[in-house]
Amino acid sequence: MRTIRPMSCAIVLALLAGAPLAHASDGSDTMRVGDMQYGNGLDPRGWSPLMTPDADGMSWLHPGMLRTPSGALYPYPYTLAGKPLGQGGDWTYWGLLQLGYIHLGGDSDAEFFRQYTDWKNGAVLGLWAMGFDNRATGGYVEFRGSRISGDDQYYRVRAGRYGHYKFQAFYRDIPHTVSTNAFPIWQGIGGGDLTLPAGLTPGGSTIAAVQQASDAAPRRTIALTRTRSGLSLEGQLYRDWIGFASITNEERDGTRLWGGPMFFNFAFPGTGSPFGGNGGVLETVRPIDFTTTDVNLGLRRVGKVWHFNALYNGSFFRDHKSTLDYQNPFLITNVIGVPNAGPVVDGEYSLEPDNDYHNLRLELSRQLKWRGELSLAAAYGTMRQDDALLPPVNCTGTLGFAAGPFQQLIPCELWNTPAALSRTHANARIDTQLFDAKITFHPGRNFGWHADLRYYNEDNKTDYLAYNPLTGQYGYISENGSQGSVVPGEVGIFDNGYYATSNVQVANVPFGYRDTLLELGADWNVGTSDALSLVYTFDHNQPRHRERTRLDEQRIKLSWVSRSLGDATVRASFEYGDRDGGAYNHDPYEAYYSASLPGYTPADGIAPTAFTVDAMRKYDMSDRKETKARVILIYPLADSSTVSATFYGSRDRYDARIGRQDTRSTGFTGEWDWQPAPHTNASVYIGAETTRLKLANVADNEAIVGAPGSEDPSFGGPLYPFENYWHDLDRERDYNAGITFAHDFGRVKLDLAWNYTQSLSQLDYDYASPGALTHPEAAPLLDGSFPDNHYRSSTFDASLSFPITASVGVRLFGRYQSGSFLDWHYLGFDDTLVYDHRIYTDRGPQMHYRAALVGAMLSIRL
Amino acid sequence: MRAIPLSFAAVLSVAVGLGGVLWSAARAQSTQGDTPAPATSQSSGRLSQSDIARMLPATDMGAGDFRKDNPHLHQADEGPATPFDAAPIPHNPLAPQADPVGARTCIACHSLENVRASHSLHVQSFRAGAANSGPQAACESCHGPGSEHAKNPALAGSIIAFTHGAAADVHTQTAVCLGCHAGGARQHWLGSVHEARGLSCSDCHNPMARLSPEGVLAKPSINEVCATCHKDIMVKFHRRSHMPLPEGQMACTDCHNPHGTLTRPLLKTDTVNETCYTCHAEKRGPFLFEHAPVRESCLNCHDPHGSNQQTLLVAPLPMLCQQCHTMTRHPNDLQVPTNLGRGPNPDERLMGRACLTCHTNIHGSNNPSGSRFHK
Repeated sequence: MRTIRPMSCAIVLALLAGAPLAHASDGSDTMRVGDMQYGNGLDPRGWSPLMTPDADGMSWLHPGMLRTPSGALYPYPYTLAGKPLGQGGDWTYWGLLQLGYIHLGGDSDAEFFRQYTDWKNGAVLGLWAMGFDNRATGGYVEFRGSRISGDDQYYRVRAGRYGHYKFQAFYRDIPHTVSTNAFPIWQGIGGGDLTLPAGLTPGGSTIAAVQQASDAAPRRTIALTRTRSGLSLEGQLYRDWIGFASITNEERDGTRLWGGPMFFNFAFPGTGSPFGGNGGVLETVRPIDFTTTDVNLGLRRVGKVWHFNALYNGSFFRDHKSTLDYQNPFLITNVIGVPNAGPVVDGEYSLEPDNDYHNLRLELSRQLKWRGELSLAAAYGTMRQDDALLPPVNCTGTLGFAAGPFQQLIPCELWNTPAALSRTHANARIDTQLFDAKITFHPGRNFGWHADLRYYNEDNKTDYLAYNPLTGQYGYISENGSQGSVVPGEVGIFDNGYYATSNVQVANVPFGYRDTLLELGADWNVGTSDALSLVYTFDHNQPRHRERTRLDEQRIKLSWVSRSLGDATVRASFEYGDRDGGAYNHDPYEAYYSASLPGYTPADGIAPTAFTVDAMRKYDMSDRKETKARVILIYPLADSSTVSATFYGSRDRYDARIGRQDTRSTGFTGEWDWQPAPHTNASVYIGAETTRLKLANVADNEAIVGAPGSEDPSFGGPLYPFENYWHDLDRERDYNAGITFAHDFGRVKLDLAWNYTQSLSQLDYDYASPGALTHPEAAPLLDGSFPDNHYRSSTFDASLSFPITASVGVRLFGRYQSGSFLDWHYLGFDDTLVYDHRIYTDRGPQMHYRAALVGAMLSIRL
Repeated sequence: MRAIPLSFAAVLSVAVGLGGVLWSAARAQSTQGDTPAPATSQSSGRLSQSDIARMLPATDMGAGDFRKDNPHLHQADEGPATPFDAAPIPHNPLAPQADPVGARTCIACHSLENVRASHSLHVQSFRAGAANSGPQAACESCHGPGSEHAKNPALAGSIIAFTHGAAADVHTQTAVCLGCHAGGARQHWLGSVHEARGLSCSDCHNPMARLSPEGVLAKPSINEVCATCHKDIMVKFHRRSHMPLPEGQMACTDCHNPHGTLTRPLLKTDTVNETCYTCHAEKRGPFLFEHAPVRESCLNCHDPHGSNQQTLLVAPLPMLCQQCHTMTRHPNDLQVPTNLGRGPNPDERLMGRACLTCHTNIHGSNNPSGSRFHK
């Protein structure tokens, strides 16, 4: 946790960059990530109350509205005339203040009702928007703000002078509810130290006591709030040179569901003891207490021939709670049958470390003849962190057991100190380099071509060796010492003595890759209304420390844009990709395991158990054939409506006997928009999509682990027999529909909207024999399918707006949202959250809910 | 399963019902339109070419004089001409002989357009430009010289139009906009997917009216603009797990720059992950122990546009993990319904958050004992 002051540095930089600003003609917002939208659940647009179409429309010369070049209707313009500010001045202003009250009913705590909106009973600021313009100088000030609650609000001001400079400042709170149905048993939720409640004995509670604690645990909401604020300044520095500087700061505060492993429970079911089986699986809650400060600086020159762009992005992340300690309620015993040296009480997580990120990009392009352009870009990035490392464990006393040849004691004092580490800080670093060169020519109006070469390199420089200088041992303490307290030989340690047969990871794997991409493309205008383009791409990827050292993908994409089918605009594309690569090494990690160290001794002279089956092809590394197609249609229907539709599909076939084999997606959306007059508009949309994913795997024959044959990775061999082969097929169908209708009756304006989503997913499985199952005896109970999952949400919004005076109006509105949900992951959790040595926290989203919201707003045109 | 036809029947019923309402409303509106309206509100009658020729001043000079006596009409600016006079008047290849005529000539007919455009930042910029000298060419800075259009307003191509059916091709249209807006966020427009698909700037922007809070968009919000063509993506944001676009907290352009970037999906950063790290900076690390597919691309496991699994996952747990993990012992067993909470053999590898209950630091661990993301 180094102490730096990125915010203060950034402010200084921003001021230095912004001080000499003089003229500006353009914004850089779409170059920077984030904060492009200010709205909330009450008004996602952050603008709707100002959308009062003017009855005069757009033009005296023609009725209705014109359309975009592709054929979509522009909305009717809104009444936004400014009023003079004072007398005789050049300033005008407009403004709207909307204040009101909302009241909630029904299941207003439902997770899906309040996922990103912090609905509360009480007063709300619907929208406060004001604008000031000076027609003589081009000066302007605009403000928008809205507040649903202290955790759901935004305020933003923009000011500047057209052609000179632009200033922005904002403050916003964005809520995110993860669960409203959580029952954690621990005390200290929200902090970094979770302790068990009275009545539970750390490392020695009965199942009944844990059950009682779970039943008594109060219901909690797991949620976080992102509090963001920012400043930016942009303007012309000198002639064609434009600069910008921005700084944003985010405080992220709250909780998330987390874990807590104390070794498997599934392998050690309870046998009637009041203390249950063995191991421990804990769903805990972690704190979120982050600060992220981002600095963006930019300088660009836009000349008639040369365009230059320089961008710097610095991001500084700080985690104010970088550890999570938790207590384990369960009694953990060894399989030998002797008493353990001590109970496994404490578990610990390292949460995310602080990190610093810098990225500098330079871009240069030059206009060429034949409507050509040469564009070059280069970027260098680095992400670094050097947090102090936690000791391998946080236990005290001695863990493990000693019995006969199994002298497996873990003296905590030799592992719970930083002295047990090969180094005290992470010193982790990844550097990236990007280079892109592109040349484009259009020698004639009907023909053009381009070539693009892109190179990207990600170099992981982190180098960590898991070595304890206090003991001279390699490796780590697995699962807080719990694994070593259960199974002989499985502490996670390697040495030349007792653990000489232990094959464990002893170093980090510095994953990285180098990617070179060449693209060649040509386009033809066939007549005046049709255009064809053909693009060929060759992507050469060189992963580091992965199953393949080379991946090559060739893609060809054919596109057709047509405006020749009546008034319609059709955009269609077809793409085919074929990926292959070098030899597939199913175990490229040997060098990072203790089997590669001197002194490693195969148990009973048998080579280490196979790492994985040789037929596995990880889906990011496997051969793949991919086909994609998409058609987008926009069709003007008469003068006042538009029909648009999208048809799309993709097929991916992976050359993998084990692993992901196949994915498919096919879908359609259709929409009809109608705006016959400024005071009426309506729309209807529907959509449907089907997807499927097929994967295959093979259960190993655990009975021979450590015995001859277990070193054989071959599919069909003794460890991975064909009869243990299985596959899953996940199919999903999604349906969407929505209707909007708005009509201004003169005295009253009616707005209606309905939005509907339904998703159904089926997971089917098949297997060659019950050997694929953990519990083969369950085979007769199986029918090849999981219960169907589904997610349904229906939201109906209605509002009535009517004026009281010329500048005062009232809006009455309501929302009714209902939904249903089933996810088999949570089946049974409504009955209990305790399953032997497993304790869960989250019961999952509500299976059925109905929530309603009504409100009234007073709108005042300022 | 039976819910599907039922739900769609409901949708159809509502759609048909609403269609009837709309049809009735349209008829009522049509009837209402037949009644006489104040002269200033009559916008439905098309003007003939002779009407226009009769109304149009011969030159810019004095074009707005007739307005001075009518307080109800917008007064043409009598100040020194156009505001952003540095803006060039683009060449119109379909009217090469045309000459500029000045904004006041244009406003003589397009008076309401002038009012609407006055609310947009774009035209306000012209009005209040830094250099108050030169020809009065605000309209013509985008639409090209207007003399041919003034002579024959019905002649297609006589000015550069930016709307559906315009005679000016898309390249001519975008060249006009890039005349001022080249570089910066549009540095990589040429060759971008939107350029290649023949999109014009005015497919997404409408500088002739203020239809959006900012960005002179063609619809009231960024997301609605994108949904014009990408409705299939937009509906995914209504799924169980999604980023807060429907709730108004995010826009497509938070991650994508539709004007072109160095990446094929128009991401603003060098890679997918760097875009994600912008909001999820805690996942940037680097960590002592990295998870290969995580460091490679967040998209290996997440669909940022929406998912029916938890946390935007592309497949249910533990199957997501089992696509890669066949390692000996516990990862490779087939999980079945009997391993669920209500089954005879509950199994932590399937229940709740499945693998992630133990391998919780799946995005990378900074713990010396975290090589398997347990710590």
